[in-house]
Amino acid sequence: MRKGALKKKQRQLEELHLDRREALGELVVGMYVQGSWDDEIMSRGAAEVREVAEELKSLDLPAGRSSEKSGDQDFPVTGEYTAEHDLPATGEHTAEHDLPATDEHTSGHSLPESGEPTAPHETPATATRSREYGAAGPKSAGPKSAGPKSAGPKSSPTKPEPVAPAAAKTASAKAVASEPGADRAPGSKTGAAKPSPGSQPEGAERPLLSKSGAGVRPDPIAAEPQQKLSELDQMAERIDRSQSAAKTAAEAAKAAAAADARTELSAITREIESDRGKLDSALSEAAGRIASAEKRATEAEARLARESAANREAAADWVRSQAAEIEADAALAAEIAAGSEAAGAAADASGDADRPELEARIKSLETALDAEKASRAEALTIAESRLKAIEQSARDAEKRVEEAEAAAASAGDATARGTPASTAATEAQAREAAVVWLRGQILALRMEIAKGETTGAGDDS
Amino acid sequence: MGLFSRGKQSGRERRAMKDHLVELDDLRRKHLSELGAMTVEMADTGRFDRARLSEQAREVIGVDREADLITRGLEEGLTLEELEDLARGEDEPATDPGK
Repeated sequence: MRKGALKKKQRQLEELHLDRREALGELVVGMYVQGSWDDEIMSRGAAEVREVAEELKSLDLPAGRSSEKSGDQDFPVTGEYTAEHDLPATGEHTAEHDLPATDEHTSGHSLPESGEPTAPHETPATATRSREYGAAGPKSAGPKSAGPKSAGPKSSPTKPEPVAPAAAKTASAKAVASEPGADRAPGSKTGAAKPSPGSQPEGAERPLLSKSGAGVRPDPIAAEPQQKLSELDQMAERIDRSQSAAKTAAEAAKAAAAADARTELSAITREIESDRGKLDSALSEAAGRIASAEKRATEAEARLARESAANREAAADWVRSQAAEIEADAALAAEIAAGSEAAGAAADASGDADRPELEARIKSLETALDAEKASRAEALTIAESRLKAIEQSARDAEKRVEEAEAAAASAGDATARGTPASTAATEAQAREAAVVWLRGQILALRMEIAKGETTGAGDDS
Repeated sequence: MGLFSRGKQSGRERRAMKDHLVELDDLRRKHLSELGAMTVEMADTGRFDRARLSEQAREVIGVDREADLITRGLEEGLTLEELEDLARGEDEPATDPGK
C-alpha cells in the first residue's frame, strides 16, 4: 500500500476515532441531562470507539514498519508505488486502482511464479522482499489473531491487560521515534499480542538495512508472505469500507444535526415571533388603556372645574342672600326701633323682645280671619242665589202644576160634555203621570231647599 | 429584536463574541472527547463511575450554556454588559439531574 494512502487512511481513522469519542461523550451528556444512566449503551458506545481505535492501531503498526524500511530505500519493499514516485510506465496498478486486464501483478495478488518483477525500476533484492513479508506478516496478522473487532468490552478482560503496557514499552522502545504512527503503539493491544515474533522482525530488518546482503540469501517468495500481503490489502479495503461507512454516517449525523439546528432555530424564531406579537398586542392594549385613562382624567378635570365654578357661584349667591337678609334685618330693626319710640318709653323700658313677633302673629291671624269671613260671605252669597234659583224653580213647578190641574179640570168638563170613553181614560192616565212627576219634582225641590238651609246654618256657626 | 437592548452592540464586541463562540466550540469538543475517552476507560474496567462522568458532563453543559448565551447575544445584538447582566440573571442554581 502506498505510504500516502496509508497516511490518509490513518488520518481519516483518527478523525473517525475522535468523532466516535465525541459521540460517546454526547451520549453520556444526554444520559446525565436526562438522569438515566444505561451502562449497556455506554459499553456499546465504548466498544465502537475501541473498534476504531484498534483499527487505527493495526494500521499504525504496518505503516510504522514499512515506513521504517522505506525510509532507507527509494521504494517500498512491497513493490507498490507511493506518492513519492511517478506512475510506472507499464501502467502498473496499485491498491487504489481496479485490477488490470493484463494480469499484471499488483500488491493485491500473488506474485507470479517466475518472480518476475513488474516494476520498471530497480528490482529490490529478493531476500529483502522476503524479509519484509516476514516482518510484516505477523504484524498484519496480529490484529486478526487477536480479533479486536468482534471482541467487545466484555471480551477485553480476557486479554492480559497488565501485560500490555510492558509489551507496549518494549514495542515503543524498538520503534523508531521519528515515525508518527509509532507513538500509538504503546497503548495498543495488538502490540501486546505479538511478543513472540519480535525476534524475527529484528532479524528481518537487518538485511533490509544492509543492501549488501540482498543477494546472499535465496529468494523464498512463497505463498505465505503473499497471503499475508493480501491480508494487509484486505485489511486496507476493510478500513476503506469502514472509513466510507463512517464518513457516510458522519455526513448523515452532520445533516441531521444541521436539520435539528434549523428546526430548533425555526422553532425559536416562531416562539420569538409569537412572543413579539403578544408583546405588541400587550403594548397596544396598554396604550389604549393609557389613552382611556387620560381621557377619563381630562373629563374628571373638566367636571371638577365645573363643579368648583358652580360651588363658587353658589357661595356667592349665599353670601348675597346673607347680605340681603342682614340688610332686611337691619331695616326691620330700624322699623321696630321707630315703632317702639312711638309706643312709648314704657315699652322701651320693659324691652320686650317678643312684641314684634306677637304683633306679626296677630296680624297674620287677623288676615286669616278676614279671609275666612270673606270666603264665608262668598259662600253665603252663592247659597242664597242658589236658594233663590231653587225657589224660583219651585214656583215655576207649582205654576205648571196649577196649569196642569186647570187643564185637567177643563178636560173633565169636556168629558162631561160627551167625549168618547177611550179618550177620557187616556187623559186620566196622563194626569196621573203628571201628578206623579210633579210630586217627585216638588220632593226634590224641598230636599234641595233643606240642604241649602243646612249649609247656611253650618256656615253661620 | 433587542428586547433587552439598552445600547448598540459594537463591531468589536461582535467579533469578540464570535471568537469566543469558536473557542467554546473547540472546548466543547475537547470536553466531549475527554468524556468519551473516560467512558471507554471505564468500560474497559467494567465499572462506570457516574460521579466522574457527571462531573465531566457538567463541564460540557456549562460550555453549552455559555455558548447559548453568546449566541443569543449575537442574535439579539446585546452588548457585553447586557450579556453579563443576562448571564447573572440566568446564573441561578439549577437542579442536578445526574444525581
